[in-house]
Amino acid sequence: MTTTVQPESAASRQPSRLAKIWNNVSIIFDSPVAMVGLAIVLFWFGMAILSLFWTPHDPNEQYFRDQRRSAYIMTYLPWIDLEDYDEVTRPKPEFLLGTDKTGRDLLSRVMAGGQVVLLKTRIPLPTDDVRRQDEISALSRLLDRFVPEEWDEVVVPGGVAIWGVIGSLVVGTTFGLLAGYKGGWTEQIVMQIMDALVAFPRIVLYIVVIASLGQGDLVIIIAITVTGAPGIARLSRSLALDIKTRDYIRAAETRGEGLLYIMFREILPNARGPLLVDAMLRVGYAIFTIGTLGFLGLGLQPPEPDWGSMVNDGRELIFSQPNIVIWPAIAISTLVIGLNLFADGVREELSRYQK
Amino acid sequence: MARFLMRSVISTLVTMLIVSALVFTLLEVSGRDVTVQILGVFATPEQKESLRKQLGLDQPGFVRYIDWLVGNDWRLRDELGNVQTVFNEISQEPEWYVLLDDGRFVRHEVCSRVEDIDSGFCQPGEMLYLVRNEDASFFRENAGDVWTTDPETGESVFWGVDIGNRAAKWVEGGGDTAFVSTQTGVQELTGAAVQWIPLRKGLLRGDAGVSLKTTRPVSKTLPIRIRNSAILAGLAFIVVMPLALFLGILTGINEGSFFDRFTSVTSLALTATPEFVTGVLLILVVGIYWSNNWLPGLVEAGFLPDWALESFKVPTTTLADSPNAIFEKPKELILPVLTLTAVELGYIVRMTRASMVEVMAAPYIRTAIIKGMPFRRVVFRHAVRNALLAPITIIMLHINYLVGGLVVVEVIFGFQGLGKFIFDHSIFGDPNAVEAAAMVTVLIAIVTRLLGDLAYTFLNPRIRYA
Amino acid sequence: MTKEEKQMKEQMYEVHPQIPNAFSAFKEGRISRREFIRFATLLGMSAALATACSTPEVVEEAAETVQEVAEEAEEMVEEVVEDAEEMVEEAMGGPARGGTLTIGAQLQLIDHPARLSWIEGANVVRQVAEYLTFTDPDNITTPFLLESWEANEDVSEWTLNIRQGIMFNNGDEMTADDVMFNFSQWLDPEVGSSMLGLLSYLDGMNSVEKTGDYQIKLTLTSPNIGVPEHLFHYPAAIMHRSFEGDFIQQPIGTGPFTLEEFSDGERAVLKRREGYWQMGEDGESLPYLDEVIYVSIDRDASVAGMQSGQVDSLYAPRPADFLALKDNPDMVVNSASTAQTLILRVRVDQGAPWDDARVRNALRKIQNREKILALAWFSEGDLGTDAHVAPVHPAYDPREPDAYDPEGARALLEEWAADTGNSLPIQATIVTKNDAGEQEYAEALKEDSADTGFEFDLDITEASGYWERWDQVPLGITAWTHRPLDTMVLPLAYIGDSDGVPVPWNETRWVDEEFSAILKDAEATLDVSARREKIGQLMDIFSSRGPIGVAFFKKVWGLHTSRVHNMPAHPTSYDLLNETWVDPA
Repeated sequence: MTTTVQPESAASRQPSRLAKIWNNVSIIFDSPVAMVGLAIVLFWFGMAILSLFWTPHDPNEQYFRDQRRSAYIMTYLPWIDLEDYDEVTRPKPEFLLGTDKTGRDLLSRVMAGGQVVLLKTRIPLPTDDVRRQDEISALSRLLDRFVPEEWDEVVVPGGVAIWGVIGSLVVGTTFGLLAGYKGGWTEQIVMQIMDALVAFPRIVLYIVVIASLGQGDLVIIIAITVTGAPGIARLSRSLALDIKTRDYIRAAETRGEGLLYIMFREILPNARGPLLVDAMLRVGYAIFTIGTLGFLGLGLQPPEPDWGSMVNDGRELIFSQPNIVIWPAIAISTLVIGLNLFADGVREELSRYQK
Repeated sequence: MARFLMRSVISTLVTMLIVSALVFTLLEVSGRDVTVQILGVFATPEQKESLRKQLGLDQPGFVRYIDWLVGNDWRLRDELGNVQTVFNEISQEPEWYVLLDDGRFVRHEVCSRVEDIDSGFCQPGEMLYLVRNEDASFFRENAGDVWTTDPETGESVFWGVDIGNRAAKWVEGGGDTAFVSTQTGVQELTGAAVQWIPLRKGLLRGDAGVSLKTTRPVSKTLPIRIRNSAILAGLAFIVVMPLALFLGILTGINEGSFFDRFTSVTSLALTATPEFVTGVLLILVVGIYWSNNWLPGLVEAGFLPDWALESFKVPTTTLADSPNAIFEKPKELILPVLTLTAVELGYIVRMTRASMVEVMAAPYIRTAIIKGMPFRRVVFRHAVRNALLAPITIIMLHINYLVGGLVVVEVIFGFQGLGKFIFDHSIFGDPNAVEAAAMVTVLIAIVTRLLGDLAYTFLNPRIRYA
Repeated sequence: MTKEEKQMKEQMYEVHPQIPNAFSAFKEGRISRREFIRFATLLGMSAALATACSTPEVVEEAAETVQEVAEEAEEMVEEVVEDAEEMVEEAMGGPARGGTLTIGAQLQLIDHPARLSWIEGANVVRQVAEYLTFTDPDNITTPFLLESWEANEDVSEWTLNIRQGIMFNNGDEMTADDVMFNFSQWLDPEVGSSMLGLLSYLDGMNSVEKTGDYQIKLTLTSPNIGVPEHLFHYPAAIMHRSFEGDFIQQPIGTGPFTLEEFSDGERAVLKRREGYWQMGEDGESLPYLDEVIYVSIDRDASVAGMQSGQVDSLYAPRPADFLALKDNPDMVVNSASTAQTLILRVRVDQGAPWDDARVRNALRKIQNREKILALAWFSEGDLGTDAHVAPVHPAYDPREPDAYDPEGARALLEEWAADTGNSLPIQATIVTKNDAGEQEYAEALKEDSADTGFEFDLDITEASGYWERWDQVPLGITAWTHRPLDTMVLPLAYIGDSDGVPVPWNETRWVDEEFSAILKDAEATLDVSARREKIGQLMDIFSSRGPIGVAFFKKVWGLHTSRVHNMPAHPTSYDLLNETWVDPA
């Protein structure tokens, strides 16, 4: 429909485009707050990427064989001292942050815990043996046709939190821009639905969505998308309301451009600043959400670590080994802090830039 | 204004309708077998099927949604006659009866009790009336031949109201087998109903239905939970609001100072720590370390008097060991309130601060200061009022978000509130209870948003709602 | 005498001069282990210590190094001193009357006790309504509301003599009519009681006959030795004959408490009743407690509440709760061995690979039992031998559990692959839930199966997610509860009905003719040693071609605050509170 690129405008933009992006990006260097935030975020990204190639130990390996298993066993008999056991989980050079209750290295797990949040999304494929209850398998089945026979899982780059936010961006901006630009009944209906979604008790939505679709990365992405979309729709609607009064929109209309062209090629680029800042904050919320779901026992699939499930796993041991909870908790908190600082800084710079 | 209110009410109702349909659909497609939850995992398929029928779950989902919304007594009148609810003063619950022409309220039962058969009162399989007395008790009476012939199947059937407030369809001589031992020996009885439809008035007529998990009307169990949560959230609100606004304004005025930086970082850290972490750590540090280790140490060392040992101890969990436990043991609320405070405080401080900073940079404030107006007066007369506009709307919107946090806090502390109600019943797959709770949260969300809008109008006279 | 033994005896001597003599008697086989424990504990030795001293490992191997013995000795002395102090305290006070006991447990719906499907609810009912028999924490069954029972030669006729003079809390005396009424409820398919399956040897009420005001005779269609144990199954609480199906509306029973308030998902309040039939040490009616309150909170909250003294005990503590509380001086830990277990089971009716015994044997071989027990249940349990028969079962035939043998597994799988033309690795998904050690079991299997020809995926959900499909999945780990008798569990899950169709709970669909025949035989053998031989054969069949792997049997813990006394741990997590008392405030 409107996918044909206008040769003229494309040509005129081409040379300056990179520079323009760089110009946009470089504003964050002016903000120390954004830089600190960025550093924290990059740290966790770095950790997650590093963990793809190297971790001190295999995050899923249970270290009992090498840890005087017999001593471990003996120590749990109630009339014998716990001293030996503590040696296993107590932080020490081999296991810098200690191990969790199944003897897995906490440091490696905290590092790798960022993977499913930030770096990769796992989509299990239906095979003859895997009779997973996931009813989401429509996509899985579709994917299954295009990948080699022996694969039982497709790993998509981009973590659950990232895809969740991208999902809510796509859904939210589509509806928001549509409502803002078209106005009238369209706006009424779209915003009514969005309001209903906002008012929908999140936790019910999560529990019910997960109960109906089964646990898995895709389900969490859907849950994040659905809960995030209304906020973005609201924001993009208000931006569209403002932008649609501009002359260049009128010009495009006069040119006879289609609805989608105007929405996505004219309005969206001019609304992207605030939307991106919002999206960054939303990545933080999404990480929160994943954590909360993990805590409620509705999180991602074990055994691959994610921070929320790690907290949930360790929660029952909070009185005997608080470190199991504390480290993944710190990971969630700092990453969210980093994203917040980054978003704050960028917003500040943007508003100054616009003035 | 009237038009604005009108529009709000309509939009609220439409929203609730959408949400209720959405909840119902989601629960419907969830494929969660509620009969497993009720009967336990080892129930046989026959038992599950039987219960499914007794709960009326064999009806199509659409029909059940309509029943839930507007009730089904009116559409069952043809079969049942004049069916009505009578309020039972003893159990404080409404009960369904059929009003006979002679003014008596009756329910129905198939003759199957040993003593009735032994005394010759009735023959097995006959229909009995359970006739209601004034005091909500009932006596049995032989109903005589009430059977009618089903034109489709040719069976002799009867529709009545059973003791479980359900419309039940009995087939003469049909139903499942049961063993009953009587004086004359063991008898095999048939007579259970073959179809059930739980009677209800529907939400629009003020009946939220019966919870499958508790078998009690939702309207009896839910209000107390709402009250509990309201108290918890209210307390947190009372603690958070003054503190947060105060800190926000103070940091906003002193932008860039050490105090500002410290408060900003702390509040950011608090916001960025999920409530489940805060709660668990508070239990550990305040509930265990402080109460069991540090406090006795301090008392022993003489820093605190002896009575502090018991008085300063902080309970780690909330026990609903009586209906009004929340008033009897207010100390148990300390940790839940602290957790909610920790989560909310940072957010509101940040909002207020940002708004304050913006206002303080506004030309009219600068002008006022330059004009030589006392700084204090500038801040309190002009800046604060304008600076509070943004946070108040945002806070109102945030109350909706708070409900989510409430779930986690209530789960951690075992607090019997709305959040835990939603969580438990969602996990159970209990449509009536989840629907009712969802309606409450939707209402909270919408009303707080409206209040936010109104507060905005009130504080900012430039805005008028046409 | 070895040095270790001498040291051990020295400590025993410190507790009481007679204990070392008893120990010698035990070692020489003159008294049994149980007798020794009873004797030693009577004289003030802690039960745990006495058990430890008398376990074969300790007796035969003692400890390996002098160092360890010295350490152990030190601890033993400490513990003995503590216990002695406690005993002196108790002896001074004796049971006190009054007080409230608060227990944390998740409460769900209760309606008809016969229909109970969860023990937390049964624990509430149990305080109000009682059972005909009683299986004590040591797995020994005695008459309770019954005066006695008698079985005929081939255990096909049972006469139940009901104890006279027991009053319901509505003032009526319990008679054979009440018991008849309860049998009719259990056997009524419409009530939907799980007793119906358990009492499958009764042909409805035709098999139950009232032979006197206080006597009932059961005529079994097939001989069964489990009758007394079955009558203590948790849905078998005896209700008054006027009971109409809702316990909350009609809490009429013979028990020591009355139901004051029940609020689903919140609390159950039980108050002491007057005129209960059992007498306390002080010659008055039990119970000692005035009030028992069950509060509906999850275990995490219960554990937190116990540490701040708000909660006295919790239902069925998990290993983590045990860990959190066991070193707390304000807590008392009791434990009991059980037949509760996690069953690693496959469906044999779905073709390759699980239809082949070699594959199942390979699966059994990759169980690293000690590790699994350590991971899943903190080593608090007894190792299993892949047979669903536990060491606590009377007719358990002791044998060594198989060692972890990945090479053996590999060899078996290769043989199978060569024979059947299938290729390795076998890919399979272990489906299970995440709440009681299953996850650790599954994860250990996944890890330990590397290079054996198995390749496992894990599908682990919350409990309800698994129970929706527990009998459907091809490969899964199912938690099975404790049943006091060896012959109680096997007919539930490992046989077919008369047509050879697997019985409803047969999650593996495995039906073996020889197995079924021997089991039928065992079910009719009252004599334990004769039965042991048959159970031994069954255990061999299990480990050579059975459909399951059993790595271990769990211990359960009873955890309560130290103000509570006389609250024993029971293998089925039943709360036995008749003689429980709390320190006066």
